[in-house]
Amino acid sequence: MLRAENLTKRYRQGDKEVVALLGFTHAFPQGATAVVGPSGSGKTTLLNLLAGLDLPTEGGVYLGEIPLHRLSEDERAGVRLRHMGFVFQQWNLIPTLTAWENVAFPLLLAGWPLGKRRARALELLEGVGLLKRAHHLPSRLSGGEQQRVALARALALDPPILFADEPTGNLDAEAKEQVAALLFKAGKERTLILVTHDLELARRAERILHLKGGRLLWEEVPSPNP
Amino acid sequence: MEVFHLVLRNLLARPVRSLLTLLGVLIATASMVLFLSFGEGLRRALFQELSRVGPAIQVVPEGAEGFAFSAYPEITPEALRALEEAGKALGVKALIPTLLLARGGFDPKTGFFFQGLPPGVSPSLLYPGLRVRESRLLPSAQGAVAGAKIAQRGGLTLGSPLRLSPKVALKVEGILEESGGLADNLLFAPLPALQAVLGTKNVGAVLVALRPGQKAEEVARALEGAVPGLKAQTTGEVMRFAERALRISDLVRFGISLVALVVGGLLVANTVMMSVYERTREFGVMRALGARRGFIFRLVVLEALFLALLGGVGGLLLGSLASAAINLYTLKEVGLALSAITPRLALFALGVALGLGILAGLFPAQQASRLPVVEALGRV
Repeated sequence: MLRAENLTKRYRQGDKEVVALLGFTHAFPQGATAVVGPSGSGKTTLLNLLAGLDLPTEGGVYLGEIPLHRLSEDERAGVRLRHMGFVFQQWNLIPTLTAWENVAFPLLLAGWPLGKRRARALELLEGVGLLKRAHHLPSRLSGGEQQRVALARALALDPPILFADEPTGNLDAEAKEQVAALLFKAGKERTLILVTHDLELARRAERILHLKGGRLLWEEVPSPNP
Repeated sequence: MEVFHLVLRNLLARPVRSLLTLLGVLIATASMVLFLSFGEGLRRALFQELSRVGPAIQVVPEGAEGFAFSAYPEITPEALRALEEAGKALGVKALIPTLLLARGGFDPKTGFFFQGLPPGVSPSLLYPGLRVRESRLLPSAQGAVAGAKIAQRGGLTLGSPLRLSPKVALKVEGILEESGGLADNLLFAPLPALQAVLGTKNVGAVLVALRPGQKAEEVARALEGAVPGLKAQTTGEVMRFAERALRISDLVRFGISLVALVVGGLLVANTVMMSVYERTREFGVMRALGARRGFIFRLVVLEALFLALLGGVGGLLLGSLASAAINLYTLKEVGLALSAITPRLALFALGVALGLGILAGLFPAQQASRLPVVEALGRV
């Protein structure tokens, strides 16, 4: 289980100190947790800290017994590779690699041989309905297709934790629905942490954390859709 | 899709920029290879020539070590007599006073090198294995014998006049067969005739032929001891001197080519640095997905190395082509291959290109690998 204890992040902006996140404590169980809040509420900072992309000023992040905040940059990269998957809003895919090569990238980092990488990537692309686009470069894929490739890549090493930062932010309604369905399906068996402005999307999660001014205001358990 | 594929894909994604950088490295390496190939060619020609020379010792004025042939003759008749007496006492096979005289311009077609030999001394004593193609090997007091190449270049035939000064003129009395050595480019003439041209009784050098069993080093030191002011050099010493001179010349030529190399290196660094800036987010995504710093570092350094190696190999090929073209010309004009691409030169060129690649890639690679992930992703 991933948990944050008294997570605080302060930045210096010139002479001023900006508090991006203050005293955030929460344990993320299996299933989807949405993090919502207005711009500047600390959502992205929280995701950065939980994923070990950045270090807290105070407090800590624990993955089981592993104190993520005490690990070196490369050790955190190793933890991300084995335990976490990411779907970002944009700039998601490596532009010079084809769809299947993008999906296989974490497998390359993990040292998988080429044949196994290709087979696993194609299997995942089939899962997101993009097998026919496996050999296309990202520039030839639509926004929705790119996000589905990114989701397939996030699942390549079957990580127990999945981070998604505004995954449907740039998509039209149809693509948004496709990506959301795949995301929540993948999130059922894992810990999915979804950062979004979109309350409609957030309500499909099992829990919603409301952030404002860098603080956790409350946790909401949305009522199931009729 | 191995790491090398990632490198290749990125370079191919920006083909014009990669190609221009490649050309920069290629031309820089080719110019270095060509510059240094002259040293290798000279080294090879010189050592081949020295190994063909008959006499094992060359006596020259002190301070004129190495190649004294082009200098003004400084060995006086008295010094020569003292040398002959010392030689007799040491039991050497022969002492051959000689001097070299250049006539004409720098153009190989109009430039002539005369080597003066005492009356009765055959050129084959200096260059064993010489054979006559036309007429005679030993010139008379008013004659000269031409090497095969110089005869061909200068259009010399038997009876051709050779005007050395207003008072001294010789006639071609013999033409030699091509030997593949220095003798092909020389005109052998009587020593007194050349001395008359220069208005001196001095000689430029004395070549000493040894009897079997005589040790060149010992005889050389004994001759030096007997006649102060002269330096007796063995073939080995001449070779060592030549090697030193060539090394200095190598360094000078490498220094000149370094300018082109530095420009080539900066081109690679610029290309890789631009690529790093353009791909900041891409590196951020890779790091977020679990790539370690070393992976990004290797990726960027490999790009620079690949460009440099490809440019190095291309430069080596281009340099070899240019070297072959130059040799075609010099072989035709002076009978010597002045440029040579030796294995050590090829390895050196590739080594320099690789070194250049590593140096050019280190800074961009460090920048790329040390960028904080959140900054790279634009998530601050």
